[in-house]
Amino acid sequence: MTAVLVKAFRDLRRRRLQAVVVFVTTLLAVGTGTIALTLIAQTSDPYQTAFEAQKGAHLVVDFDGKVDPGALAGTPAAIGASAFAGPYRATDMQFQSGGHKYTVTTIARDNPGGDVGQLRITGGRWPSSSNEIALTRSFADLNHVSLGDRLRVLSVPQASILTVVGVVVDIDELRADVGGQQHAWVIESAFASLTTKGASFYQMDYRFSSDPTSAQLQAHLDTLRASVPPDSITGSISYIFARTVFHISTEILTGVLVAFSVFALAATAAIVANLVTGIVISAYREIGIMKAVGFTPTQVIGVFVLQILVPTATASVIGIPAAMVLSQPLLASNSQALGLAYQPTYSPLLGLLALAGALLIVTIAALLPAFRAGRLKPAIVIANAAAPRGHSGRWLRRLASQARLPRSVVLGLGDATARPVRALLTLLAVVLGVATVVVALGETRTFNEIYSYEGHIGKVDVVVAKSPALADADTTKLINSQPETGRVVAQAFANITAHGIADPVNTLTFRGDSASLGYLLTSGRWFSGPGEVVANGGFLQDAHLNVGDSFTGSVNGAALKLRIVGVVYDFTSGPGGHILMLDWTTLAAGVPDLFPSSYMVTLKSGSNVDAYVRRLAAAQPDLLDVQAASTGNTAFLSVIAVVLLGIAGLIALIAIAGIFNTVLLNTRERLRDTATLKTLGMSPRQVIAMVATSGGFLALLGGLIAVPAGVALYRVLFDQLSALGGNTTPPSFYDVFATWELIAIPIVGVAVAIAAATIPGRWAARTNVVEVLHAE
Amino acid sequence: MSELVRLTEVTKVYQGGITGALNGVSVAVEKGEFAAIMGPSGSGKSTMLNLVAGLDRPSSGTVTVGGTDLGKLGEAGLARFRRDHIGFVFQFFYLLPNLTALENILIPAQLKGNVVPGRARELLEQLAIKEVADRYPALLSGGQQQRVAIARALINNPTLLLADEPTGALDTHTGDQVMELLGELHRHGQTILLVTHDAKLATRHAARVISVMDGKIVDDARLESPDRTASEVIRVRGEEVSR
Ligand SMILES: Nc1ncnc2c1ncn2[C@@H]1O[C@H](COP(=O)(O)OP(=O)(O)OP(=O)(O)O)[C@@H](O)[C@H]1O
Ligand SMILES: [Mg+2]
Repeated sequence: MTAVLVKAFRDLRRRRLQAVVVFVTTLLAVGTGTIALTLIAQTSDPYQTAFEAQKGAHLVVDFDGKVDPGALAGTPAAIGASAFAGPYRATDMQFQSGGHKYTVTTIARDNPGGDVGQLRITGGRWPSSSNEIALTRSFADLNHVSLGDRLRVLSVPQASILTVVGVVVDIDELRADVGGQQHAWVIESAFASLTTKGASFYQMDYRFSSDPTSAQLQAHLDTLRASVPPDSITGSISYIFARTVFHISTEILTGVLVAFSVFALAATAAIVANLVTGIVISAYREIGIMKAVGFTPTQVIGVFVLQILVPTATASVIGIPAAMVLSQPLLASNSQALGLAYQPTYSPLLGLLALAGALLIVTIAALLPAFRAGRLKPAIVIANAAAPRGHSGRWLRRLASQARLPRSVVLGLGDATARPVRALLTLLAVVLGVATVVVALGETRTFNEIYSYEGHIGKVDVVVAKSPALADADTTKLINSQPETGRVVAQAFANITAHGIADPVNTLTFRGDSASLGYLLTSGRWFSGPGEVVANGGFLQDAHLNVGDSFTGSVNGAALKLRIVGVVYDFTSGPGGHILMLDWTTLAAGVPDLFPSSYMVTLKSGSNVDAYVRRLAAAQPDLLDVQAASTGNTAFLSVIAVVLLGIAGLIALIAIAGIFNTVLLNTRERLRDTATLKTLGMSPRQVIAMVATSGGFLALLGGLIAVPAGVALYRVLFDQLSALGGNTTPPSFYDVFATWELIAIPIVGVAVAIAAATIPGRWAARTNVVEVLHAE
Repeated sequence: MSELVRLTEVTKVYQGGITGALNGVSVAVEKGEFAAIMGPSGSGKSTMLNLVAGLDRPSSGTVTVGGTDLGKLGEAGLARFRRDHIGFVFQFFYLLPNLTALENILIPAQLKGNVVPGRARELLEQLAIKEVADRYPALLSGGQQQRVAIARALINNPTLLLADEPTGALDTHTGDQVMELLGELHRHGQTILLVTHDAKLATRHAARVISVMDGKIVDDARLESPDRTASEVIRVRGEEVSR
């Protein structure tokens, strides 16, 4: 055993550079894997913890304000809820703070505790007088509203000021950064002055003794619907939906992360296998001598595997804790969104798992070539001094010769493929690296694209949100009086109840040239007249309808005959959500008091958007919120981008290490050939060109495979993302890559590979011919 | 006859070497000469040849080939010089194992950017290795390998052919054939510098025998008629030479 140890450590010292390559690649791979594992292990935790601690509601249902609150008291028993809260009175309230206008759902509630849906106060206190308000922490953080800030209420004619006295965590609503109107709370006595007649509704929280399935929730909703007058339920949120939305960013991330860490480990395994094969080849004679002096095959294998395990273990011991520390900010962002004081969590078990995984994969990768060393017959090995070499580069050399490429390039191509297994393993690492970069780039772009798409960027310049206190006619007149105003599409929200769909369906009603908003249709066409409607894929699935089908919806008790003419690509309704879009004329028949809540304005070309926004805002400072069209808050997108691109960068580095490693092994093995070529008159520059070609070629080949593979993988991931909203991806959405980029990515890869290969290339060019040949 | 190679007071001390491998060697070789460098193992023969080929630089002194002071050339310059003027044949052939015989032969021309299939065919014919042109070195006999190596050395029509123990790894019969070949080339005007420690081989073909011992030239014999004086040389220098 000592002999094995002594030999292994001596060899390690001699092969320092190779040890460094193993160390760096495993460090990167183990780091990626650990970050992924940490995120996967912890995503479900903070939400569940908070949900239990705060007795979260399994179901939150909004009832129309005309419903008798006394009747609502019987609903929990009707659906078998073990606890309930409410009915709370609630209303949409618009207010202004720090120059911006926001809309929140303001709820009348005297007490943050209770049996269901407790609110955790993370800052300040619960409101105690009628000019005080509490906000969600999620909202306050996102919009930089602090305790003590004074909010000017705009949605009611009589202006009033509310002071923010408390910041709370509400587990039953969607997080602000992913979208979703946030709740705010005032005491009951303050409520009446904050709402207008007919604008308030009731909210009920239900909790069950065990977590219901979505089918059960669906059934409960049906029961509720039957127990109140028709169309009384105006909205509902299930804990499943809230949880999904809460996890959406981490969920998208973890899927990609798992794929990426598998990539990183596979690339590392390829490099390690290459290295050990290389060591076996270059130590061919030595292996014979080792056996001749009495090493058993197992001991020979031991020597080689140990040489790899020492740097791997070192890299793991450094990499795993480092990655755990690095993933803390990501974990923290989740907990902080819930207002949980974030305790950095380090799971030793997870670390051990990552360590065991890394050692196992690397050992397997090292064992295969080491077995070959163990099996070699001493006599043959000593006699042959160097391992037999392959001739597989021949066809390639022929081809290159015929193309009249310079000799050094032709020789380099031959070197790249002389050992096919090595070339294939290197290709594997390169393909993984480049494909990951393509996927990461694609996904990042897609997220931004989706946000631009939903924000009508490029189609709409200014979005004007109107307070209910201002008349539609006045607003339209004001907007149209601006000389730059080109096109105006007004938008109203409504809820349509459809058969087979439990919740009322969010419905966007457009007045004006809505086709110009640029909504993408995955099939069918945009609506063009009364009665025509487009829906998202999720709606069609759940309502069992197809394009061309008609159905009867109801709004405010009035029946509407609707015909589906197209399927719209949409994310705003969230995972599993439903949305309908139709023309004003369709709805106006059933809803006489329909009024737009916002106006999407496209300016005449060449207009100054900022000046327009300022002028319009100044005309109605209280009742209009005028903003240049934007993608909204996309902070969490940049977190995703940083993580994806960062990890893709790491895997790309691993691929570069793979190329460097292969070129290094090749030049070492071919030192004598290089010396011979130098005696034949090969110049230093030609030597470097030869070596660089061998590295560049593998990168080029890898890039040519990886770019289409990466694009394909990106599409698969994108399709899954689309499927969250029940959508199929419209083909035009795939085109996030410019052609030049798809060409540039492999070119950059080749350039980097050539740069990496130039290092061993320089060493080869500098070899002293006399010394090399003398040593033979 | 014009002078092709001149070594002036050349010394060479290898790193870690206690004594010099060459200690003040001065010698000149004329164009068209066939000179043999003889001496016991470790006497500095290969060192001398390597310096003439520009593969290494002397510790002091100058090496001039065809009027060019090799000390004035950089690495790239030396590579170009070798390509254009030197053909080198080694004891262990040093063929590139992953190239066929023909591809090996063509390498020096291709490094120059020349395409000379005609010249290669001519050499294959002349050296009687046409039938092995497409084989890999591992499948060739020692003699065939050395012929390929010689063809490779000649592909660029070098001014000077250097051969370091070209028969050292061959059996006597094959070795004789290779030496015949060199003699033939010499008769066609090729300047040859041959390193050997076999006196018989040296004197049979070379017209001049330079004897080296401990890094110094101890004798420089020009033989008007090689065949006649061969035995004489062996007798006179027998002791040192056959060691
Ligand atoms: N690259 C080198 N590094 C260190 N010492 C060297 C090197 N090459 C040669 N020597 C030493 O220089 C001396 C001369 O060597 P050289 O190879 O020139 O001898 P040689 O006459 O060619 O011998 P042989 O007949 O064995 O080939 C020897 O002592 C040798 O050990
Ligand atoms: Mg020698």
